[in-house]
Amino acid sequence: MLLIFFLVTSSMDTDKGLLRQLPPPPQEQQPPTDVRKDHVLQVTLDAHDQLAVDGTLITPQQLRDRIAEFVVADRTDHVISIRTDRATTYEAYFRMQNAIVAAYAQLRERYAQERFGKGYGELVEEQRDEVNQYYPQRISESKPSQEKGGVS
Amino acid sequence: MRRMQSIFRRSSHDMPGLNLASMPDLIFTVLFFFMIVTHMRHDDVRVRYEVPAGTEVQKLQQKTAVINVYIGEGKIQMNGQLTDIDHLPGLIEAERKKLSEDNAERLTVSLKADKKTPMGIISDVKEALQRSFALRINYSGTEAREY
Repeated sequence: MLLIFFLVTSSMDTDKGLLRQLPPPPQEQQPPTDVRKDHVLQVTLDAHDQLAVDGTLITPQQLRDRIAEFVVADRTDHVISIRTDRATTYEAYFRMQNAIVAAYAQLRERYAQERFGKGYGELVEEQRDEVNQYYPQRISESKPSQEKGGVS
Repeated sequence: MRRMQSIFRRSSHDMPGLNLASMPDLIFTVLFFFMIVTHMRHDDVRVRYEVPAGTEVQKLQQKTAVINVYIGEGKIQMNGQLTDIDHLPGLIEAERKKLSEDNAERLTVSLKADKKTPMGIISDVKEALQRSFALRINYSGTEAREY
C-alpha cells in the first residue's frame, strides 16, 4: 500500500517541458559561418509578439507547416534562424519553440514509419539516431535585438 | 439449558462487532498526508510564475540531475535561493559539483519562467548557462491539447 502511495505521489510532481540543446559558448575569434541565403528561413518575433516568417505575419500553426515544408525541401542544409526582441514575451517564444519541435517531430515520425514501420516513440536508440540524422535540427538563434549568431 | 441458550443468543446479538466504516477515511487520511509531505520537500519558491502551455511537452527524465531555475517578476531563483544573472554560473557550478559524475554529464536545467517574462531576461539567463556549460535546457510548460 505504501508503494502505491509513493508511486502516486512521485508521478504527481513530474516536470514537463520542451527539451532543447544549447550550443557551447562562442569562442572569441570564431569566424561567422557563411550560409547561403536561400537555405535560411528567417523567423522573427517582434516586441509585440507578432510572429513573422521572411517578413510575412503568420500563426504558430502555419509556422509548423511552413517549417515542415522548408525542412523537407532542404533536409541537411537548411537553417532556421530565430530572431527575437528583448521585449518579446516568453509565452510567444515558447509557442514558437513548440511549433518548431512539432514540425520536426511530425517529419521524424513520418520517416520512422516509412523506414522502420514503427512510430518514432517505439524505435530503439540506434534507429532513433538514424532518424535524427536524417532530419537534423539546424537552428540558429541570435541574441535579442543585436546582430549576433550562435545561440540556439 | 434453555436459559443458557437464551443468554448466549442475546449476548451474540448485543455484542457489536468492530465498526469498519471509518477504515476508508483512515486510509485516505494517510494517503493525503503522504501527498502533502512529498510536496513540502520541494524548493521554497519565492518567485511567482505561471508556465506557458504547449502541445509537444515531454516528461523530464532523471530528476536527480535537474536544476530548477525559476524566473518571474524580474527575479531569478535557482533551486532554493534567490540569485541574479552574475551569480548564476557560480551557483550552477557549485550545484554540478554536488552531483555524481554520470549525473553531471546529464545535467539539465529546467527553466520555469513566467509567461510574461520578456525575452531579454530569458536570453541573459541562457547566456549565463552557456558560460557554465549547462547546455541541456528544458522550457518547462504544461500540456495543452490544442491552442
